[in-house]
Amino acid sequence: MNEAKETTFADLVRTHHRALIAIAVPIVGHSEAEEVVQNAWIKAYRAWGNFRGDAAPRSWLTRIVINEARMQLRARKREAFFSEIDADASPDVLMDRFNADGHWQHAPGDWGTENPAELLESETLKGCLERLLNAMTDKQRGVYELRERGGLSFEEVCQNLGVSASNARVLLHRTRSALFQLVDHYQETGEC
Amino acid sequence: MLKCRDVPAEASLALDNELSRRRTMALRFHILMCRHCHRYMRQARLLAQAWTNRGEAASEDEVNNVMQACRDNARKTNSEDV
Repeated sequence: MNEAKETTFADLVRTHHRALIAIAVPIVGHSEAEEVVQNAWIKAYRAWGNFRGDAAPRSWLTRIVINEARMQLRARKREAFFSEIDADASPDVLMDRFNADGHWQHAPGDWGTENPAELLESETLKGCLERLLNAMTDKQRGVYELRERGGLSFEEVCQNLGVSASNARVLLHRTRSALFQLVDHYQETGEC
Repeated sequence: MLKCRDVPAEASLALDNELSRRRTMALRFHILMCRHCHRYMRQARLLAQAWTNRGEAASEDEVNNVMQACRDNARKTNSEDV
C-alpha cells in the first residue's frame, strides 16, 4: 500500500474504530470485541485496494466485522445469541406518556437544537445513553447498533443477526423510545 | 385514524423505510395536525442522526496499533507468498 493509501486508511481507522467495537460488543461480548475488530481491520487493509466505494465505508466495514464475529463464535463453538428474541424484556417506555384516549399526557419538550452534534455535546448525556444501551439485552442493542451505527439496511440487520422482521421492528422501536425518553428527561431536568 | 399513542411506533418504521405508502400518508397527515407529534418525529430523527454521526475518533495509540497489526500481517503474508 502506498503512503497516500496508508494515510487514507489510517483516517478510516480513526473515524470508525470505536463505532465498530460498539457494533461487535453485542455479538461477541466486551472481552472479544477488540480482537474481532482488529482482525476485521486486517481483512479490510488487504481488501482496501479493491474497495470501489459502492457502499458507505461504515457499512462495508460493518459487514467485515460481522463476518469476523461469526468466525469467532464458530471458532469458540458458541452459538450466536440472536436465535430467540425476548421482545417483552424491554417495555415501551413511552406508553406511560399517553392518556386513555391516546393523546399525549406528557408531550415531548423542545430540545432547543436542530443540530445532531449539538444534541450529544454533553458528556453526561452521552454517558447515560451508553449505560442505557449497555443495560439492554445483547439482541436489542445489536439490532440497534447495526442499524444506526453500522448503517446496514433493515433487511441486512435481520439477515445478519437471524432476527425475524417483526421482532427487529419491536426491538428497534423500543430502543428508540427508551433513548428518546432519556434525552427528553435530560433536556427537561438536566439529569438522566 | 392514527392516534398520538401510535406515532412513536409508526415513526420508527418510517425511519427504516418500512412504512407502506398509505401509512406514511396517515403519519404525515397526523403530524401536520398535531404539534406534539410533529416535535416527536423531528426530535426522534435528530436523535437517530446524532447517534449515527457522533464524533468518537479513535486515539492515535489505537490508530497506530491497528495500522501496525495490518502492516505486520501484510508483511507476513507477502513473505509466505515468496
